[in-house]
Amino acid sequence: MSLYIQHRNLRYARGLQYRLAWGDRGVSEHVYAYGVLEQQELSLTVDGVEGATDLYTIDYKGLSVAVTDIDTNDVERTDENVQAHDDVLQTILDHDGGRTVVPMSFGMAFKNARTLKGVVRGARRAFRKALNDIEGTVELGVKLVSTGEEPADLAGIREALSAMAMNETDDDLFSDRLLLNRSYLVDREDRDEFGAVIDDIEAEYGDDVVVKYTGPFAPYSFVDIQIGAEGR
Amino acid sequence: MAQPDSSSLAEVLDRVLDKGIVVDAFARISLVGIEILTVEARVVVASVDTFLHYAEEIAKIEQAELTARATPEAEV
Repeated sequence: MSLYIQHRNLRYARGLQYRLAWGDRGVSEHVYAYGVLEQQELSLTVDGVEGATDLYTIDYKGLSVAVTDIDTNDVERTDENVQAHDDVLQTILDHDGGRTVVPMSFGMAFKNARTLKGVVRGARRAFRKALNDIEGTVELGVKLVSTGEEPADLAGIREALSAMAMNETDDDLFSDRLLLNRSYLVDREDRDEFGAVIDDIEAEYGDDVVVKYTGPFAPYSFVDIQIGAEGR
Repeated sequence: MAQPDSSSLAEVLDRVLDKGIVVDAFARISLVGIEILTVEARVVVASVDTFLHYAEEIAKIEQAELTARATPEAEV
């Protein structure tokens, strides 16, 4: 990078100085956002989207957004990137006794920290409310796949799972063999008991159903926030 | 104790592609003013805390009304 450009563009030069001081984060100022947390110090080494490794936060008035640097606004939807997005969120979820995080959808890359802060400023109340609503929880997925006979007490199974959850989605029964397919919002402290219910189901109905138990996920299915710009 | 499987790509895809916080591409590249940013947040879950808080407030109001009715002459 020539000195000529630094003279011509003071703002760019400041950015460059910042990068020189903090180690090379690349020429781009784009940031890829994973999720929103209560404002906190969070600096982790991760296997992030597009191979990024340094997770840090961009903070605005009591909220922190967990980000890694990225050199584009258009993130390629590869299996690796999608998996990395979720892996980073799982790392945050499990970090240091567990953190509450409102997850971003895949692909939320921002031009720079300023544009991200602008969005946080506008959506602050929605983020704050979502954080309060999902405080201390994780999302767990349960699928029950029939192997033939329907288990006698599907209602009982549903009830036992619901009893351990703060909320749940509707069933997504995209196949005839699916008896149950939903996400549960479970308090961290109830995770073992939720797992025990899964054990009970397997013990009692193991011949009739295959149980697919997945997660923990950040509570994707319990956050629905759409942010746009008017007049477009 | 059953431990959930955290490695299923299909399960991840089901969630990360359209759920969570979605920010319009224009809002991600432009510094738009707060006045033209649109935020739609659907209530997906009311927390137990919120519910308990409301329940507590309602109980207080009802109690206050009962007390007022039972002892109309009471000094406040």
